[in-house]
Amino acid sequence: MTAPDEQRTQEFESEALPHLDALYGLGLRLTGGDESAAQDLVQETMLRAYRAWDSFELGSNCRSWLMTILRNTFINDYRKTKSRPPSVDYDEIAERPVFMDAKTTDPEGKFFARLIDREVITAIEGLPIDFRIPLVLADVEGLGYQDIADLLEVPVGTVKSRLFRARRRLQRVLYEYAIEMGYIR
Amino acid sequence: MSETDTGKGGPEEMISCQEALEKVYEYLDGELGSPDQEKVREHVKICRNCYPLFDFERAFLDFVREKGFAEEASGELLERVHAIVREGG
Repeated sequence: MTAPDEQRTQEFESEALPHLDALYGLGLRLTGGDESAAQDLVQETMLRAYRAWDSFELGSNCRSWLMTILRNTFINDYRKTKSRPPSVDYDEIAERPVFMDAKTTDPEGKFFARLIDREVITAIEGLPIDFRIPLVLADVEGLGYQDIADLLEVPVGTVKSRLFRARRRLQRVLYEYAIEMGYIR
Repeated sequence: MSETDTGKGGPEEMISCQEALEKVYEYLDGELGSPDQEKVREHVKICRNCYPLFDFERAFLDFVREKGFAEEASGELLERVHAIVREGG
């Protein structure tokens, strides 16, 4: 390695590598908990980031830069498979608000706080892919509807309805889990 | 569904519970824009059926946002990435 290369590598290692666990967490959410796919995704992200390192402005938010590369890498692959039949039968998914069932026993949704992190993560990762992705982008990454629509190349209305169903489905899964565990009666 | 469905006591453009319910997440996400955001807010403010539901949904969203992101030990990944970098990408 020449001196400039060495400096570049050291810079990359000290700036980018500390975010590996965060990237892997996002990778797992997006891939539905597929460890091998998430590892490949993070590795590909880091490779792209390293190659593009000269375009990264030192001092700006490296974590957010890396998250964007990871997200775009994942979405590109996802979009390629978009023409396949929907992974779920949308009409079969119950949309009844959990509140309707919980309003006599737990109207404020206190049971949510009793769930442990792993249970929540597992429930998110267990959502069908077409629901999981908008939910992760909106609720984990904090993106707006239009940004999600642009990324996924679908109309905003599609984002709205998938996000709506994703959240209803997630709260239903968490509610049923809370009942099963005795967190709620 | 509730007394507000009849429009009793509200302005003529008062939306129904069903409409409010369909827009709950858009409203909580701040994605509705004017004047729909205000219409939902007005409805929820006076509808005793809807406001507890909106509070419940807000608690749920806050919860998901708080818990949805968790770092995960990347283990051997660090070695793999080190190797890539040391080989010069």
